[in-house]
Amino acid sequence: MNATGWLERTRRNDIFQKLVLILALVAFLVPLGWTTLASLGVVPRGTHPPGLAWPPSLDHFGEVGVAEPHFWQELATSTGVSIAATLLTVTVALLAGYGLARSRFRVKRYFVQGFLVLAVLPVMAYAIPLSDVLRRLGLDDTYLGLVLGMSAVTAPLAVYVLYGHLTQLSTEWEEAAWLDGAGLARVVSMVVVPMIAPALAATAIIVFVLDWNVLLIPLVLAGVEVKTLPVAMVDFFTFERELEWPTAAAALIISLAPVVILVALGHRLLDQFILGSAARESN
Amino acid sequence: MRLTGRQRLLLFAPLALVLGLGLVGPAILGLLGTFTTYAPGQTAIRLAGFNNYAAVLRDHVFAASIRNIAVFTLAAVPLELVIGFGLAYILRRPMRGRGLWRLLLLIPWLVSPIASGVMWHFLFASGQGVFDFGAAWLGLREGPSPLSQHGLALLTTVLVEVWRVAPLVAFLLLPGLVAIPVEKWEHATIEGASWLAQIRHVVLPAIRPLALAVTMLLVGLALGTFDAVLILTGGGPGTETVTPALYSYAAAFQVNNWPVGTASAWLIAGAVLVVGAVYVWLARSEPA
Repeated sequence: MNATGWLERTRRNDIFQKLVLILALVAFLVPLGWTTLASLGVVPRGTHPPGLAWPPSLDHFGEVGVAEPHFWQELATSTGVSIAATLLTVTVALLAGYGLARSRFRVKRYFVQGFLVLAVLPVMAYAIPLSDVLRRLGLDDTYLGLVLGMSAVTAPLAVYVLYGHLTQLSTEWEEAAWLDGAGLARVVSMVVVPMIAPALAATAIIVFVLDWNVLLIPLVLAGVEVKTLPVAMVDFFTFERELEWPTAAAALIISLAPVVILVALGHRLLDQFILGSAARESN
Repeated sequence: MRLTGRQRLLLFAPLALVLGLGLVGPAILGLLGTFTTYAPGQTAIRLAGFNNYAAVLRDHVFAASIRNIAVFTLAAVPLELVIGFGLAYILRRPMRGRGLWRLLLLIPWLVSPIASGVMWHFLFASGQGVFDFGAAWLGLREGPSPLSQHGLALLTTVLVEVWRVAPLVAFLLLPGLVAIPVEKWEHATIEGASWLAQIRHVVLPAIRPLALAVTMLLVGLALGTFDAVLILTGGGPGTETVTPALYSYAAAFQVNNWPVGTASAWLIAGAVLVVGAVYVWLARSEPA
């Protein structure tokens, strides 16, 4: 193959790849852009030729609290429960991941992969007995019960990801700390945590998003006293379908904003959210 | 330095407590319960053998849900993998704004399946939807929402889920593709390998463990689909988009038939565990 032919092919390839990227961008963002416009009251006017209502206004964001009087309470509940569940998940996963990374046993490889399988076990397989267990413990429809249930859903994935990072750490510093007579709590908090802080933060962000969006667990374990946003949305659309699109769009944008802001703030850290062995080469 | 037994206990006990109480324990209870008449408030629990499973398997709605989830999984997962891999492949080279791209890839996934259901419900609706607006601009006639049309509803739920998940797949695969050493690409390019050959001989072997993990996650999640159809179609029209999880939830919490609810859930959980076992077997040669 001659050099000009190769250049020609590379350039055509580049243009093709750029086109694909732009097309993908449009496909991902048009639905969300349309929703954002609707939340601002910019919706089709039904005229000929088609046009959009103008100017935009923020009125519909106020209407959310009228259409669903408990909306702001539910937003606060979702925030609190998701933060608590994320902290619990990341803490127990860090401890167990560290223990696994510094242990040797014959079936460890299968055991670790098992956590990834556990991460996708359908929630309905255990939601029914779990609701019964929590009721017997007096924890149904409580913050504590919900935080426990949500942590259990995300903990397996967090263990898998953090384990991948912890096995990559050089043990030099830990050895030095042990020799200095440091205890387990000190080694974990002063040596291990600082070294995998970026991965820990990335895992926490992803776990928070999962907790923020989880539906079945809060639907089954709570929903009267303790009601999260996804459950509120389901109730709303199951019982009263006549909600106006701009109001629904405003509610969607409000419920999406916290996770978008979180991910945007932490996007440099998110490079550290890596499944399995890819961590080996990129660290 | 080896951990002592006491240290190991301290490290593993919190996770064991959370998972034992919140996931593994209830899962085992649930599985055992499927062979009994176990239901809340019931004082006398009797053994039922395989009766619960037989009742589930006789129900034509459950049969429809199995057919639906098979179509859903076989259509959605390959589409998500191909689109996600394609995007990650294009983004693998250093380019301006790649950090921003990685961020954008996550955005559709940030929309919860429930919120996505609400959003697409309105996007497909006549009058205010984006498709009707586009059609009106092109001078075409407005059509009814595909979500309520026979033969189109399941396909539409697949496309909505692909919209939400395919970019996430790109996000997850990207680190694996970026980690492939530059020399390997150069070597393949100098040899004049076609891009298909590059993918087969350079890319796939390098990202095999990662691709296996992502595929298993996608298949497992697809089989358990619940939120993604609950608002979008609610299982309709008729039983065209009912999934086993939706069937199980309705049986347990709307009809209050817990034995049928858990038994149907465990039929699909069994399928997920089989997929998981195949994954663990395929990934056995990779250092974990």
